[in-house]
Amino acid sequence: MSNQIFTVAKKEIKDNLRDRKTVMSSIFMGAVFMPVLFVVLMNFITNMQKDKAEAQLKVSVQGTANATSLVKFFKSKGAEIKEFNGDARQAIIDKDEEAVLVIPDTFAEQFEKGVPAKVELYYDKTAKGATNVTQSRITALLAEYSSNIGMTRLQLRGVSPMLLRAVMVEDHDVSTAQSKGAMVMTFLPYVLIIGLFLGSMYLAIDTMAGEKERNSLEPLLLNPIKRSNLLIGKLIATITFGIITMFATIAAFKVAMPFMPLADLGMTVDFGLKNVSILVLVLAPLTVMAASLQTIVATYSKSFKEAQTYVNLLMFIPMIPSMALMFMPIKEKLWMMATPVLSQNLIINQIMRGETVSTISIIAAIVGSLFVGLVLALIAIKLYKRESLLFSG
Amino acid sequence: MIEVKALSKSFGKVKAVKEVSFVAPDNQVTALLGANGAGKTTSLRMIYSLITPESGEVMIDGINPQKEPEKARKLLGVLPDSRGLYLRLTARENIQYFGRLHGMSESQINSRIESLVEDLRMQDFIDRKTDGFSQGQRVKVAIARALVHDPQNIILDEPTNGLDVMSTRGVRSFLRKEKARGKCILFSSHVMQEVAAVSDEILIVNDGRVCASGTEKQLMEQTNMNSLEDAFVHIVTNGEGHE
Repeated sequence: MSNQIFTVAKKEIKDNLRDRKTVMSSIFMGAVFMPVLFVVLMNFITNMQKDKAEAQLKVSVQGTANATSLVKFFKSKGAEIKEFNGDARQAIIDKDEEAVLVIPDTFAEQFEKGVPAKVELYYDKTAKGATNVTQSRITALLAEYSSNIGMTRLQLRGVSPMLLRAVMVEDHDVSTAQSKGAMVMTFLPYVLIIGLFLGSMYLAIDTMAGEKERNSLEPLLLNPIKRSNLLIGKLIATITFGIITMFATIAAFKVAMPFMPLADLGMTVDFGLKNVSILVLVLAPLTVMAASLQTIVATYSKSFKEAQTYVNLLMFIPMIPSMALMFMPIKEKLWMMATPVLSQNLIINQIMRGETVSTISIIAAIVGSLFVGLVLALIAIKLYKRESLLFSG
Repeated sequence: MIEVKALSKSFGKVKAVKEVSFVAPDNQVTALLGANGAGKTTSLRMIYSLITPESGEVMIDGINPQKEPEKARKLLGVLPDSRGLYLRLTARENIQYFGRLHGMSESQINSRIESLVEDLRMQDFIDRKTDGFSQGQRVKVAIARALVHDPQNIILDEPTNGLDVMSTRGVRSFLRKEKARGKCILFSSHVMQEVAAVSDEILIVNDGRVCASGTEKQLMEQTNMNSLEDAFVHIVTNGEGHE
């Protein structure tokens, strides 16, 4: 009796829509909060990077008198020289200075003799924010000065400075404007998938563990409905919430897109109808997997709180491929495209990079995710039929 | 009519129910009287096929609930030990949900709810969300929900547990009315006055067995006692009569 299945699904949806907490935490958190956070973070990061790269370089130097020509060179390059006195190392540790250039007394003597004249650069490589920009700009200026002086010296001795350049590197960066920006966008797939998991989470907990906690499971099981149908109805409700959240998240991102500093990052993300359709197509089958997985976990818990703890642990699943992909760019293979979560990650990344997503990838993602989802749904049904269901936990 | 033949069940090493047999006919209120843990709830759960008996057989109007659980459930209305409601739904919505699961039409459900509201006196709270209901209101909704399909056989596990006097009286008079309509009513209780007040036949359950049966009067005669409580104690202690 399929009518019964829809009776169950309808009741669960109605029941949970009345819970403001569920609606807020699933749909609002997933769909609205995440894109807003995304916009704010992206603007903050790009502005910070831009400010540092464009601002005047301020160099703290100890012993300016020891190297007047070096200091002059720095000034000619637009750097502002600040005389520094004290313990350079301590100043870095105390975060009073981002970088300190120390020119020892021996500098002039070594310079005269034509041996490498030592300067010391103090900085903290692990420091957060734009400190590294300062350090790398100083290092670049030092290298430029060093090579200028070296070339002059060789020329004075009648040697062509070209002899020093055994190899010349010519950079050909083939990354497109989009693929540069994709670096920043690597966590978009994670946000979309998490949103979908968040959407179905509360329903899975409420329809399974909640039913036990309220003591309404036993009366429910006494109705003339097969347990499998009962569970299918509950799963449909859970999946529905996942899908609603998915649509809401995608819509929110579409709205948020113009507020992201994409142009500053040299990228144009195509969030047009075609790509949005691809997103919907590959993400929707994942809701079956998310809902079934959460339902299985929730079946084992007897209280809402207990289920919440365990179901929250499932949030790590969508993180795994997202994290892995951030660090290792791997060439897409068909089996990856058929692996749920991983395939969605890869396809969203392709869209972000402005690449064409192949039809076969889309089909593989849909079939793979649906297959795993249905297997998990069958396991959930099997577990729901156990006699110990009422007494577990 | 509910027929039970040699029903047994154990959990691990504990034998909870041992060879329980009885018949609860139509037009009669049959009570299972026993202390907590005597095996009443387990017996009832096997009768309404929530758990599978190890051995023995149950027949509900000739239907075996182990073989045809959905069919048997249509003939049964059960108020189980756990009677939680959906707190975000109104009392009416709670009852409607179960009616729909029974495959009833909306008009059937509505007219049945009207008569249950009348019989159980639920006019004041039928359209309120059940969150914050009193114990008595909750039990009434749970009974209405269990009986929405107007079944011939009614099973209630400790129906008046935790209810005040007025609610208890309400439930009792409802059961008498249902009996007058020719229903088969089987309920469990550990409260003597309760059993004495409504039941026609009393089955005394102790340590997983039915160890005596009869009307209140018959049980008192069998044991030479002048109250049901004394008769009960006499039976379950084999005449030693612990205080």
